[in-house]
Amino acid sequence: MGGAVAADVTAAQGARPARGRRRGAPGVVELGLLSLGGFAAFFGLWFVVARSGVVPARFLPAPGVVAATFFHLTHDPFAGYTLQQHLLSSIGRFLMGFALAAAAGVPLGLLMGWFRWLDDVVSPVFEGFRFIAPIAWVPFAALWFGTGIGGPILIIFSGAFPPCVINAQRGARLIEPHLIEAARSLGAGHCRMFAEVLVPGALPSIVAGLRISAGLAWQSLVGAELIVVSSGVGYLMVQGQSNLATPIVMSGMIAIGIVGFLIDVALRAAEARIRRGWAGA
Amino acid sequence: MHIGATTDSRSYRRAVAAGRARMASAGRRPWIGAATVLGLAILWYVLTTATGAVSPARFPRPADVWSAALQLTLRGYAGGTLWLQIWYSSRLVLLGFLVAAATGVPLGLLMGMSRRAEALINPAFLLIRPIPPLAWIPLAIVWFGLGDAAKIFVIWFAAFVPALINTYTGVRTLDRTLIAAARVHGASERQILTEVMIPGALPLIFTGLRLSLQASWTTLVAAELVGAFFGLGRVLIIAAQDIYPGMIAFAMALVAILGALMTGCLGLLERWAVPWRRT
Amino acid sequence: MSQISFQSVSRVFRRGSEEILAVADVSLEVADREFVAIVGPSGCGKTTLLRMAAGLDFPSSGSVLVGAREVAEPGPDRAVVFQQFALFPWKTVRENIGFGLKCRGVPAAQRNAAVDRYIEMMGLQGHENAYPHQLSGGMQQRVAIARSYALEPEVLLMDEPFGALDAQTRIEMQEELIRLARVNPRTVLFITHAVEEAVYLADRVAVMTRRPGRLAEIIDVAPVRRAEAWEERPIEEVMDLGSFTHLRTRIWKMLRDEREAKAEAPRVTPLQRRKAGP
Repeated sequence: MGGAVAADVTAAQGARPARGRRRGAPGVVELGLLSLGGFAAFFGLWFVVARSGVVPARFLPAPGVVAATFFHLTHDPFAGYTLQQHLLSSIGRFLMGFALAAAAGVPLGLLMGWFRWLDDVVSPVFEGFRFIAPIAWVPFAALWFGTGIGGPILIIFSGAFPPCVINAQRGARLIEPHLIEAARSLGAGHCRMFAEVLVPGALPSIVAGLRISAGLAWQSLVGAELIVVSSGVGYLMVQGQSNLATPIVMSGMIAIGIVGFLIDVALRAAEARIRRGWAGA
Repeated sequence: MHIGATTDSRSYRRAVAAGRARMASAGRRPWIGAATVLGLAILWYVLTTATGAVSPARFPRPADVWSAALQLTLRGYAGGTLWLQIWYSSRLVLLGFLVAAATGVPLGLLMGMSRRAEALINPAFLLIRPIPPLAWIPLAIVWFGLGDAAKIFVIWFAAFVPALINTYTGVRTLDRTLIAAARVHGASERQILTEVMIPGALPLIFTGLRLSLQASWTTLVAAELVGAFFGLGRVLIIAAQDIYPGMIAFAMALVAILGALMTGCLGLLERWAVPWRRT
Repeated sequence: MSQISFQSVSRVFRRGSEEILAVADVSLEVADREFVAIVGPSGCGKTTLLRMAAGLDFPSSGSVLVGAREVAEPGPDRAVVFQQFALFPWKTVRENIGFGLKCRGVPAAQRNAAVDRYIEMMGLQGHENAYPHQLSGGMQQRVAIARSYALEPEVLLMDEPFGALDAQTRIEMQEELIRLARVNPRTVLFITHAVEEAVYLADRVAVMTRRPGRLAEIIDVAPVRRAEAWEERPIEEVMDLGSFTHLRTRIWKMLRDEREAKAEAPRVTPLQRRKAGP
């Protein structure tokens, strides 16, 4: 198996009882060959359709053309900068918005999980705002913070903030009540309870939230860059689009995909590490 | 006995009372939430209208939002009245969502049931998945222009992935004993699919559909912001160009309310379709 | 003077609009350095009584006193041992045992010495730096008991501490607890539904009725235990003694009579008779 789909169900796989292979079930070699076939079919189909002229090359360039364009963009500037420079400015915005969301969302969520009244106060407002798609903040973001750095960060923040809050809150709320009772009867005060029981207890949930949050932040960043900025990969793609330069648009998509994938891999690794540490899972 | 000694200790009495009060407050208290919302509304009024601490050019007054609502409803804005804009946006979302559900769920079922199908399809999925749906917007515009087709295409990409993954997970995480039990009772492969696998995966399928719907909505608004002739995203971007905070706020509220309504409808459908689900 | 004192304690739980009387008018005194076990069917409110002594729950009427003070909040003078161990999964054995002392502000050097002492006392050497999930259930409960003892509390509250353990480990832990009680006597309130365990461990056994939980009877075991020197003998031998089986059977009968007296549905009784037949 393996791959992105499989990675999502690793937890479930662990829970599945081990069993012998059923009669007629495919072996590893067959599955491997099929996977290779799947890759080949994807690129093959793309190549054939592009080369056959059914779709004009202007709309669907062949894989090789896109690869060449991707390579070109790394040293020939387009829309003002090279691909790396665009990526760098995108990643910078992403990091700022994400860090801001985590720094504000995680403590807020923990406090909401611990103090019932705070949850009662914040939740209705939070739930209401959560239904506003992050991208709908674009007009206010531009109005309040301009289109340089502040505006996009507000949009990224609004995408990344909710999972931070929700997961921290849920993590704090779902800690074994016995652990909290044990800590109380061992004499732990509020501060110690927070630092030594609440935070470590909620940590797996928090990190899972940060991973979701990073994904949404990266998404929102792309959305923001399509609309409000003058650098970044999203901007590169919009410029490509208005020049009808399909290979450039596709190169941008690939770059965005790669970076998003790397962010996800890094946070997954962090998550697995924490789980392995003391949860034994 | 000891009672005399303890009833004198007032601080202890008070602490006991506090403990009892803590226990009493276990349930949810919606009136606190209502009070918070009311408080925020008053704060909004005080800051923008009563004291003028916040400039109406940056943040709308309640009256601005009201007049924007009137304008959009009665005279129209950004090319149409309220109903036309809502109709355009919700129609596209529903179309895109239905196409995505109709392709994502069956494909997820297929990949969940057959490891061969999974091995064959997974690579293409793996290559496409890391690309955020919004990143398809420029390509969609190149391919299909600013009309409906481009939007449905992008929504399809956005909504397809969660529908597929959750359906797949639903089938894969199904308790194998249930399938064995069905086999022991003489169920055919087809019956196992319709009687065990699909109902068993249904709760997760609905989770996937809910995420799909949310993704559809977000993506549509983004696509309309980038380029459209009608729709709520169009209203937002025109209001931004006109620097019209009242209309921006009203359109955002509409986006939120419509999103909540759609999710709510799907929740009702789920309740009807999965009556055995415990939540 | 009694260490723990329940004075006409009642506890009403509210579930929706329903009011459930879980504990009804219980009065019980536990003397200093006395080991009292409460047995009763599940749902009889015995755990609620313990939680009230711990300060994790509060009576609806009446009062609970520990050391002549009304219980207002949880505190390290009353250590709780939970059925689910309640060890912090993110702390090592050493850190778990030292947690209470750390909360009290005991300096590290002194704390380490105390932790070492209790690690040795509970036979946990070699596992100091393990995380709870790496230990067996019995070992985990040893850590939890060490964590409670490390606070040197006046009172130990044990809520079915061996309920989650397998039969073999359970017997080992029962013997261990008797040994601990000899070298380190404390006032103990011990909740269990296992009658044999209660008789083997306790000075007095309080028998509770089905909900609403009342105190049916208190049985004095201590005189028999002292007379026959139970502590000196291995557990399997004690459980074979005529006096032991007599006490055990008496409590069982008490629980059964009480159950049959309360059986509301008439068709339940014949079924039970048939099952009891040869």
